Amino acid sequence: MTPALDARALGKRFRRAWGLRDCTLTIPQGAIVGLAGPNAAGKSTLLALAAGLLAPTEGSIAVLGCDPLREPSVLADVGFVPQGAPLYRSFTVGQAIEFARRTNPRWDAMIVASVLGRLGARTKVGALSAAERTQLALALVLGKRPRLLLLDEPFGGLDPFARREFLQLLMDGVAETSATVVIASHVMAEIERVCDDIVLLAGGSVRLEGRVESLLESHRILMGPRRPIGTIRGVREIVRERHSDRQLTLLVLSDGPIVDPSWTVERVGLEELLLAYLAPPERLQPPKPPERLPLQWHG
Amino acid sequence: MAWVTWQQHRAQLVVGLGLLVALALAAFGTHLTISEAYQRDGLPDCLPPSTRPGCDLIVAHFQGEFGSWASAVRGLAVLPALAGLFVGAPLLARELEHGTYRFAWTQAITRRRWLISKTALLASATVVAAGLVSALVMWWREPFDTLQGRMAPSAFDVEGLVVPAYAVFALTVGVLAGLLLRRTVAAMTATLIVFATTRLIVLTFLRPTFMAPRHRTVLATETGLRVGDWVLSNTLVDAGGRQISAAREDLAILHAQQANIDPHTYLVMLGWKRIISYQPAGRFWTFQIFEAGLFVALSTAVMVLTVWLVRRTPT
Repeated sequence: MTPALDARALGKRFRRAWGLRDCTLTIPQGAIVGLAGPNAAGKSTLLALAAGLLAPTEGSIAVLGCDPLREPSVLADVGFVPQGAPLYRSFTVGQAIEFARRTNPRWDAMIVASVLGRLGARTKVGALSAAERTQLALALVLGKRPRLLLLDEPFGGLDPFARREFLQLLMDGVAETSATVVIASHVMAEIERVCDDIVLLAGGSVRLEGRVESLLESHRILMGPRRPIGTIRGVREIVRERHSDRQLTLLVLSDGPIVDPSWTVERVGLEELLLAYLAPPERLQPPKPPERLPLQWHG
Repeated sequence: MAWVTWQQHRAQLVVGLGLLVALALAAFGTHLTISEAYQRDGLPDCLPPSTRPGCDLIVAHFQGEFGSWASAVRGLAVLPALAGLFVGAPLLARELEHGTYRFAWTQAITRRRWLISKTALLASATVVAAGLVSALVMWWREPFDTLQGRMAPSAFDVEGLVVPAYAVFALTVGVLAGLLLRRTVAAMTATLIVFATTRLIVLTFLRPTFMAPRHRTVLATETGLRVGDWVLSNTLVDAGGRQISAAREDLAILHAQQANIDPHTYLVMLGWKRIISYQPAGRFWTFQIFEAGLFVALSTAVMVLTVWLVRRTPT
């Protein structure tokens, strides 16, 4: 089956800097993927490239097997909720729906009505709250019955209650349309709640990707007294180490059970895991000893 | 797309219609006064080739009385620019400024089709509106056109086919400016500058050469003016055909006065002549077709460029 999204060495250069660089990523159909990363990590750039709003500087991107810029007909199958859900503010909710209905060949009025719920058709879009506008934007893209749904920071400006409600509407809609979903967000808790897979972008490239479950399963936090670190059985790679005066905390990628009793082993949360992979390498090192120490050694 | 265009541009259409109605009311109101005066003063008897005595006075009086109205109508030459400023420039600039293009251009309708249908519909509306303005002006200016002709820019620019052509050109320039500048106010400013410059260049350098101008040689003392012609140049030459500078002309008149000769007779005695270069009144429609065609061609080129660029925008 053609992947829902297939990026090959994809790069996008803006005037000053690269927004995305050397991004290779395959998202199979039916997946629900969280696109995590700090601001300016390239999340929006990747989604805009997938929606055919930007042209790649290098590499290629295929959406449902098509180049979204050269074969824009594929956009009939792609639903894109841009950041901040920009809709015509002078339109009423009803007019916005009519706009989407008239610009798409397929239209499912039932699903639109169910997502909109109590939102009045005569209300002006400009008068809606951020949560209501996002809800409307979601209704509009679900009305297309998309095969791929791209959401850029849909939780921005939403309080935790509204986030939950939005997620519920989203998941109902996804269940109805069986669309592939890519949610870009820096709200990890929400991503963890709904996404099966996660892609971590940082500095314009993919830092980590995999199934949420197996990532959480394969990483462990080890805590123990401070000491030189040798090889630890069951640890394949140390992702991050942190020292305090006496304590040593490691985040490790494990490849077997860690049985050494001198370590306290804990499971890791998704947010902590992602933050560990985001931290730039130099900050992973312990604080440097004062400068005179090496002199003493030589002395 | 017709529905979409209608929803987004209703306000502009209403304002445009309001403007048309106001213009029509003003035209009907003033035209009544003018046509009354036209008949009352017996101007129809003074039309060329009539040589009725006193006609020059009657015509001068009529022109003095209503000349300011006619020059106000000349100001309607700015109307086509409004299509560029208020319809063309915001078309893409507003979408890019507010980010709504990200919503509009990710629907199944491709952005090229979106742009072409919207521009085509708005251009059609613009042509109709500008055509009505042009027809209204032609009807209103009829007494003036019979007296003075309509080849001169003051009439040519606000009558006939060129008015819709200018408006469509302004519209397409506005759309392109919006795409390139991505800010409504900046796009409006650029549209005004480009439109005015293009009009000026065409008027000054191209229109006089659409067809080779005709020349007429008259006595130095005659004005050489003939009703309806667009005079391009009016130069005094000596018997050898060399051009005479203003200083030399003043000097000659001074000589005549010192010698106690009538300056007019003196200039004729010297054998000086006046060469008038002009575009005759009968070329009005030919020139209208040329100039309208030129602006339609320019609009098409601008539109092709815009459609080509919109695929690559925003980069």
